[in-house]
Amino acid sequence: MPAPLQAPQIRRQFLTTLVAAGSAWAAPSLWAQGSPRSEGRLVLVFLRGAYDGLSALVPHGDRNYTALRPTIALPTPDGTAQTTLRLDDSFGLHPALAPLLPLWQLGVLAAIPAAGSPDATRSHFDAQHHWEIGMPGHGGAASGWMNTLAGLHTPTDGALGVGEANPQILSGPAPVQLVPRGQAATRQGVLGDARTRDAVMKLYAGKDSLSQAFRAGADSRMQTAQTLSADMADPSMASKEMLAANNGAGAVQGLQLDAQHLGTLMRQDRKLRLGFLSAGGWDTHANQGAATGALANNLGSLAAALVQLRRDFSQPNDVVVVCSEFGRTSAENGTRGTDHGHGNALWLMGNRVQGGRWHGNWTGLAAGNLHEGRDLPVHHDFRAVFAQVLRSTQGLGHGDLDRLFPGFAWDSALDGLMRA
Amino acid sequence: MPTDDTTTPPRRLALQTLALAAWAAGNSRTWAQTRTSAAPASDAEWADQWRAMSRLGYGPNAILAQVLQATSPRTWALQQLDAAQCASQQAPALDADVQDINAPLPQIFEGAQRERQARASIKAQGDTTKDTADNTRQRLDFSAPADPLYFNRTMIEKTAVWRLSACSLPEQENPLLARMTEFWFNHLNVYIGKGPVRPFVGHYLIHVARAHALGKFEDLLLASARHPAMLHYLDQAQSVANGTRGAQGSTRGLNENYARELMELHTLGVDGGYTQTDVRELARVLTGWTVGPNAADGFRFALRAHDTGSKKVMGHVYPDGFFNRGEQEGEDAIRMLARHPNTARRLSLRLAQFFVADLPAPALVKRLSQVFMDSGGDIRRWMQALLESGDFWDASNRLFKTPMDFACSALTATQAAPERKSLLLTLGFLNGAGQPLHGWQTPDGYKTDAATWMAPEALTRRADYALQLGRQSVNLDFLLPYASAATRQAVAQEKPALRNGLLLASPDFMYK
Repeated sequence: MPAPLQAPQIRRQFLTTLVAAGSAWAAPSLWAQGSPRSEGRLVLVFLRGAYDGLSALVPHGDRNYTALRPTIALPTPDGTAQTTLRLDDSFGLHPALAPLLPLWQLGVLAAIPAAGSPDATRSHFDAQHHWEIGMPGHGGAASGWMNTLAGLHTPTDGALGVGEANPQILSGPAPVQLVPRGQAATRQGVLGDARTRDAVMKLYAGKDSLSQAFRAGADSRMQTAQTLSADMADPSMASKEMLAANNGAGAVQGLQLDAQHLGTLMRQDRKLRLGFLSAGGWDTHANQGAATGALANNLGSLAAALVQLRRDFSQPNDVVVVCSEFGRTSAENGTRGTDHGHGNALWLMGNRVQGGRWHGNWTGLAAGNLHEGRDLPVHHDFRAVFAQVLRSTQGLGHGDLDRLFPGFAWDSALDGLMRA
Repeated sequence: MPTDDTTTPPRRLALQTLALAAWAAGNSRTWAQTRTSAAPASDAEWADQWRAMSRLGYGPNAILAQVLQATSPRTWALQQLDAAQCASQQAPALDADVQDINAPLPQIFEGAQRERQARASIKAQGDTTKDTADNTRQRLDFSAPADPLYFNRTMIEKTAVWRLSACSLPEQENPLLARMTEFWFNHLNVYIGKGPVRPFVGHYLIHVARAHALGKFEDLLLASARHPAMLHYLDQAQSVANGTRGAQGSTRGLNENYARELMELHTLGVDGGYTQTDVRELARVLTGWTVGPNAADGFRFALRAHDTGSKKVMGHVYPDGFFNRGEQEGEDAIRMLARHPNTARRLSLRLAQFFVADLPAPALVKRLSQVFMDSGGDIRRWMQALLESGDFWDASNRLFKTPMDFACSALTATQAAPERKSLLLTLGFLNGAGQPLHGWQTPDGYKTDAATWMAPEALTRRADYALQLGRQSVNLDFLLPYASAATRQAVAQEKPALRNGLLLASPDFMYK
């Protein structure tokens, strides 16, 4: 059920205009009420399997880092290729993330080095469930929080998932659009033939839920395929089709194509304001490599996907968030990989993100500061991160945020995360 | 245990084809006609037949449909337990061109090794003329002599060909055995996309999931734990006692991946009462369990890599040390986990979700857990309790087909599996549907509920697949009696060329 709007519509628009004009004085009142910016879009890129954040946002300033990871630590930055790309005295980027460096320097990319779910589970599946329903520690069935978010406004905001059949985070009462991974999304199939389509639709003429779902799916699919194939016919887009041979479902290499499809569909349909992408292949228990290797290849694909997303999501209130269910052990294990950990680095990209810097607490890798003596702690609850983003870019007030994330606590240590 | 002797009975296949053709010829009723003269009396009986065939197999083909009309579905279901158990002890029928997947394990290791060497030598020579991506060969075409360079790719494809055949040719593979193989493979999932796992998945299916499908759970679990596919998939093959010296004097150690999933997914469940300490301790118990490329069973216990200190897993102490019982303590720990009441509960819930309903009645799960415990994890008796429950036959317990169910049941109805073109179509459909064959990346296995698979756009892709498959199909009239009046009517209005496909695309065909 949609919640009533917190401020009259006209006031929302008025404030939006003021903010767009850069009126600094408006900020304090916005702060009190949430700043309504109805056009803000959120894209979430979920890295399933727990990516190794300590290889992406490298704490080169911490001497424990190389001691804990004798064979997989990224080389200390020295300006040469295949070493960590220095961001500041504390952190650097994995060299495979080099395409993101300009975004960091531009001030639209930020990181939170030790974020996550406060629940201590090391089960991928429990932890992902918690993230997706927005309730750490809650094992039962519930709607996904992005579905709840889609239903907050009237009319319902559109939500789009590219890749997975039916991700938990988008499941719930609000209708969402789900399109498959890779090239399959661009085809109308038998629906493209009018006569066949009519015959099939007759089978699904009923009032039952399956028939309704089928009819909705047929409409959505025709639209999706039309939009994407029109986009591909555009020669300026054609060069991006180099990933056409996408064999592995869920493989991180397909992420860039999915990102492109997501961007196109959300550009063509402005009602779509929430996007979800995911990629597997991050559960690097063995031989993860360092500057090169399996993880480096995955990070390279992720960087390409993020650069792709930046092209389509660079409106003032667009935000892209990259995260995983938990982090990995700060020490290398016995097989040149890392096991399941706790806190992890989370990334935010967008014009309203206070980028070019990292946010929140960082207490380093000294044994005494690690969770259970082995993992990064969770200094910042993921719900508090999204609360900052959604308040700033979509104008959500505390009542709405509490519906997404029941009982979450506002984290004022992150108050500088978003630009006013 | 199945032997590695896998002669295909081509004569049997030929006879089936004949039988099918003869049956179809005598069955040329018109589409407006509905049920057959020898029809069961009521809709409920048709529904029971559909349920039995679709859940204890992958639905009817023309022959199976006739078989069910001559017996009661309940009787047939119980007969299948015996038939499936019996079949599980025989080698599966494998066509000559896919027999490699059931080769002795040392041969499979050798094939993988040769591919590694071939690729290394191409790389070393900087040979750019050789096509390492194998773009020249037609997929699923095994007519050319095998090139060592494409060993793994070929094994993946052969595994797919056998699996789709086994799940859609009831005269070749007992349908319940094919179903149970799916259930156990998914419960003890391995991912065919992980490098060293690739060539072993077919062997794992046959000698782990299928061979123990109706045996004892602890034997199944142990077989999985010792198989190269699992040892590689969850990195157990590399996990050694901390401080073990590796190549070039490097130090190796523990990897807790398998130990965690063994407790979280294969046995106790995430709330099953273990801690992070138990995960580490179990990983220590299992150190030294690794692949044995020269061993007939592909397993090797590397004593040198075993942690000989005292370990404690969930209150059970493994003193080791003095007696050098290293390998045995791992087996003891695995059997202990297999026999745990929380394992019985978790497995019983999964079984009921797979065969009965997305949200099965707690009383059913409780009863199944009891049978599991009382029988020492005897899967046959456990399945019998399920089939004898009212819940299994209760019409209100609906199950929506997964993409795998849908594809295999369409292949079964059309008997299209021998056609490589149909198999390619099926593999593409499963990829697009998000349930690639043997391609579930994470150890939890795919979900089987409607909430996961009943997604709007995905439904229209089922229609695509159905219409393409239906185009070349034998006549599917035998499906009509199971369909609703509305579907029969809608189908009858269309030109004959569309009717097969429409039946497969119909709402009725989406449920099992």
